Amino acid sequence: MVDSSDIDAALTAKLLADTTLMAMATDGVFIDEASPGATKFVIISLADEVDVATFGGRAYEDALYLVKFVALSTAGANVKAAAARIDVLLENGTITVAGYTRMTVHREARLRQTEVDALDPTIRWFHRGGHYRAQFSIT
Amino acid sequence: MAILTGRLGTIKYDPAGITPVALISVNAWKLSLKTGKQDVTCFGDTNKVYVPGLADISGSIGGFWNSSNVVLFAATRATVPGLLELSPNSSEPTFKFSGLAYLDADLDCSVESAPKVSGTFMAAGPWTEAP
Repeated sequence: MVDSSDIDAALTAKLLADTTLMAMATDGVFIDEASPGATKFVIISLADEVDVATFGGRAYEDALYLVKFVALSTAGANVKAAAARIDVLLENGTITVAGYTRMTVHREARLRQTEVDALDPTIRWFHRGGHYRAQFSIT
Repeated sequence: MAILTGRLGTIKYDPAGITPVALISVNAWKLSLKTGKQDVTCFGDTNKVYVPGLADISGSIGGFWNSSNVVLFAATRATVPGLLELSPNSSEPTFKFSGLAYLDADLDCSVESAPKVSGTFMAAGPWTEAP
């Protein structure tokens, strides 16, 4: 029996394993929410997911992930380079997940936002990345 | 008996026409059982009257391209019909429709989704409904 969470974990591991990205995202890679105090990090969120069926079981899992680099404006991060590095790693990237065969991983849309901090309006957070389609068939 | 899910449907096929084997990566089938009607309306009838003629059996199947099983595409080139067996739910395997058939296939590949396979079939011999 396959474990869908292994796809999330493999995606996270792919980014964590890249020293170039980690040199920029020094606080790490997180699912949904970063650790308190983090100022330069990557966030991965599952935005949408559909299981596509064949008779008797799942044919493949079709997921849309939001993957973005997030940095505090005063942290001195190279947001542009970090987002580009995420794209290099994920666009048609090799991601191995036990029990699955990778069908595709590719970006469907890019994202770029500046967020005003909810508590201190003088602070800005930069978000840059994209929505990545990840399809894995059941082996 | 109760209404069961279609998720456990099956499509089996044997090009040799003996022991059908389940096709993989398929997710749809449709069977059409139609009997042609002949018009036997006579003088004095108050409406048209028909009598049944021969059954016309055909249908369609669908699924995804899987390079591990391309039997459907080989079947399109067959010069003798294979044995096709359709079951609405594998938990009731005795309930099935089967018979010799010729098949056609289409492969639909686009960047938006997994390549989809669809096909049609038509009877090439007597069909049975079991049980």
